[in-house]
Amino acid sequence: MTSSVHHFSARVCFGLLTLGPALILPVLVLLAPPDGNERAQFLQFIGHFHPIAVHLPIALLVLVPVLELAGRSRHFPYLLPSADFLLGVATCGAIVAAALGWCLARSGGYSGSVVTQHMWGGVFVAMAAWLCWVLRARNSASHLDPVYAIALLATVGLVTFTGYRGGQVSQGENHLTEHMPARLRTLLGLPPSEISDAASSIGGSATLFGARIQPVFAGHCIGCHGRSRQRAGLRLSSYNAVMHGSKHGPVIKAGDPKSSKLFHRITLSPTDDDFMPAEHKPPLSPGEVKLIELWISAGASGTQSADSIKSVPADTVPSPPVAEVTFEEFDPAAITKQRAVLASTVAQLQQRFPGALDYQSRSSADLAIDASLLGSKFGDNDLAALAPLGEHIVTADFSGTAITDSSASAIAAMKRLRSLRLAHTKITDATVQALVPLSQLESLNLFDTPVSSAALPALGHLPRLRHLYVHETKIPADAPMPEDMKEKIIF
Amino acid sequence: MTNSKTDPQNPRVPASELLPEEIFARLQAQTRRHFLRSFSAGLGTMFLGTLASPFVSSSMAGELDLDGTPRLNFTRDPKSPLSALPPQFAPRAKRVIYLHMAGAPSQLELFEHKPELTKLDGQDCPLSFLTGKRFAFINGVPKLLGSQYPFHQAGQSGQWISDRLPHLEKHIDDLCLIKSMRTDQFNHAPAQLLVQTGDARLGHPSLGSWVLYGLGTENQNLPGFIVLLSGGNSPDGGKQLWGPGFLPSVYQGVQCRSHGEPVLYLDNPAGVSRNLRRSMLDAIDEINHQSYAEFGNPETVTRIAQYEMSFRMQMDATDAMDIRKEPQAVRAAYGSTPGESSFANNCLVARRLAERGVRYIQLYHWGWDSHGSSAKEALNIGFADRCREVDQPIAALLQDLRSRGMMDDTLVVWGGEFGRTSMRENRGGQAMTLVGRDHNPGAFTIWLAGAGVKPGITFGQTDEMGYEIVKDPVEIRDLHATILYILGFDHHKLNYSYQGLDQKVTGVKPSRVVPEILA
Repeated sequence: MTSSVHHFSARVCFGLLTLGPALILPVLVLLAPPDGNERAQFLQFIGHFHPIAVHLPIALLVLVPVLELAGRSRHFPYLLPSADFLLGVATCGAIVAAALGWCLARSGGYSGSVVTQHMWGGVFVAMAAWLCWVLRARNSASHLDPVYAIALLATVGLVTFTGYRGGQVSQGENHLTEHMPARLRTLLGLPPSEISDAASSIGGSATLFGARIQPVFAGHCIGCHGRSRQRAGLRLSSYNAVMHGSKHGPVIKAGDPKSSKLFHRITLSPTDDDFMPAEHKPPLSPGEVKLIELWISAGASGTQSADSIKSVPADTVPSPPVAEVTFEEFDPAAITKQRAVLASTVAQLQQRFPGALDYQSRSSADLAIDASLLGSKFGDNDLAALAPLGEHIVTADFSGTAITDSSASAIAAMKRLRSLRLAHTKITDATVQALVPLSQLESLNLFDTPVSSAALPALGHLPRLRHLYVHETKIPADAPMPEDMKEKIIF
Repeated sequence: MTNSKTDPQNPRVPASELLPEEIFARLQAQTRRHFLRSFSAGLGTMFLGTLASPFVSSSMAGELDLDGTPRLNFTRDPKSPLSALPPQFAPRAKRVIYLHMAGAPSQLELFEHKPELTKLDGQDCPLSFLTGKRFAFINGVPKLLGSQYPFHQAGQSGQWISDRLPHLEKHIDDLCLIKSMRTDQFNHAPAQLLVQTGDARLGHPSLGSWVLYGLGTENQNLPGFIVLLSGGNSPDGGKQLWGPGFLPSVYQGVQCRSHGEPVLYLDNPAGVSRNLRRSMLDAIDEINHQSYAEFGNPETVTRIAQYEMSFRMQMDATDAMDIRKEPQAVRAAYGSTPGESSFANNCLVARRLAERGVRYIQLYHWGWDSHGSSAKEALNIGFADRCREVDQPIAALLQDLRSRGMMDDTLVVWGGEFGRTSMRENRGGQAMTLVGRDHNPGAFTIWLAGAGVKPGITFGQTDEMGYEIVKDPVEIRDLHATILYILGFDHHKLNYSYQGLDQKVTGVKPSRVVPEILA
């Protein structure tokens, strides 16, 4: 009897001791909710222990029902008494974790319904654990009290819910489904993956948004308006999120920078309370502001191409001359895959023309042909054999070979040619005039060929042509030609 | 049979049952302690393995480089060790013509216009120029020495050039001048080795060997790396300058001559026909193949390949080196005279070799060591002759490459191994009768032209005396990294495992591709 009384009084003592803090929690959440502002450093410091502290009570609370069940089997009766102690520890842990969680949310600039739900979940878990612990007194080894059992189950349910919300806060809202296999996704009736959302923010370097605008947001804004922290509900980490706007509505009005809140806030006086970036973080450069203005004026598109805005201020364009050289990595497996369709043809032709045909580099499926070493052994028929690879050839050197004008169409079919050498061959104006489809051609070498000035007008149609070598042709140095051709032609 | 079955001492058990029994017995011998010990040790080892780096094991297997990216494979069929391989990424240039002015030409008489130095000509050099410096010959306090030749701006780019290079001046808008080269060697041989092999000590492959190793060569009838000397003195660095170092010797530069047989003993001796030579080589090959099968020495394969190439070269090399086949007008443009060993002839040969797909063409000129100790080495006498010897041929080479469209894929490099001092040399502390400058490893000028580099620019800057770099220093290894980049390589990836290290021409110090000069 005495021991039972003693036992009971300890329970009461503990219950009363923990009830106080457990009740303070909802008060804190009600009176001082997280509002998206950053506060005292110290609060943030201890707040960041929340993720560490939270796992102990979670584990214990899930463990308790296991002990309750296992302890009632005849194999593990000794487990049963532990459950009581574990519930006590779990209650304390839950209170501490919830308190730390409030510190983090209140001071770390969090806001939003997910955070709120997570907080309330945490508060309820702490109180539910406390309740379970009190109710457990109604239990005995032989008798499982139904009220206690239901409370315990409810607590575990609460833990699950709160944990999931916590995961959403720290790892993103769809962290459980993000990488779900597509089949399972359809089975569960989920919409298709949202990875496209991320892709539009990171990939898309060909779009103006991806190449120019996104880097500005990433450099200045994403700390407070990113995935993990969304002040005022605004997320600037992807195009869709930017256009979605904040909890107060859209921040971008396409075509009208002046009415776009985002643009308004970044163009206020830096001393203004509403100026963004807030809290004395480095402001956007004039060029970056101008860039955003141009982008909004042009319709705030997510698909507009990167080079469509020509007058982009220089300081926002990374100037290639001073950028350090980076070596692009490549995946040999991917290259092999790209080459798969042509590999057998390439291998055959490599046998036929030893040393003349190869891939331009290890990191591409583009081909380079240099038939100049084969000399007169290489003729029109040989060139025709390259036809299946035509679209993949980017540089071709037929200098000194026996090819004639009958190869013109075969050469013109190599649509991706950037460099073409026909020096020391018998080709004439007819071939040159046939080269008009080579829209990628940058360099054309006609050295020592019977080409005449009549071929020049056709070459004016080549948009990318930078060098035209006509030394020792029939083209005189004083041949009349347009100004832009004069810059390209080399005698 | 029945006996044995009942005999408990000696039961007959089928073999198929023995094995499980054996395993079971072993497992029984494993105590919990054994298990815990090996389990934790194994786990710990696995953990340490991940700590060390995830790629160590695959790096050992030769699949990955130390940065975890796939290793480039340079292995070839042993029968054709020089066969062409594609570069790592799309190349800007396919070949290099490197014009080395052995002896180190004075940048202050060619490209470095320093009016302030001219103003202070004859005054004592400031002590700050001397403290902590070592010189080959300067003693005591030397006098400052202004440029010996007048400078003027040339071309649309308005770059400064002296009056010593009137022909080259016409191509000034094609040149990319680097005025902030520096080295850490102040004697010719090690400095030349550093420029050509990336290391001042013997035993490292020359840049040309690295390029040949990485890219091979398309023309199997000519060496992929050819070296041409201009008569006069051989470079102080010796044949190591084009040596293969630790690379297989097939990648060494082949020194060719511009008169007589291009390669010594290339021609068949009197009385030996080409057919006889062929059957001789076949027999030698067979012996070599037997030797290779027995000992597996890769150098044996190299030797077979060399014999075969020299046989093929008998026709092609002789043709390539024969500048008599060039029209008179072309020879006149270069100022070349068939039959002699001259830089002019070599420039013309270089163009002919480049046309034939030779990967790396290395020219040496000599006599640029203008100390002022003899007329030949004086800035006001011999130096002017040296300038005359190279000016017209280089200009003709650039013009020829340009009109033939070869500047599109040929990189031309010109330079010495270090610079020369802003002070007049005072050998032994005495005033000298002739004018000269000592070695200055702290700053020198080189230029690049052709594929991959910005034409008509100057990169880097020295102080008003032209003595020390004040802006954008470029190390030799940076130059090497940049040349390899232009050829389509990350210099880290063009490596060769030797003595436990993935050796590369840029060595282990951090080196940088110079993006500012890239077109």
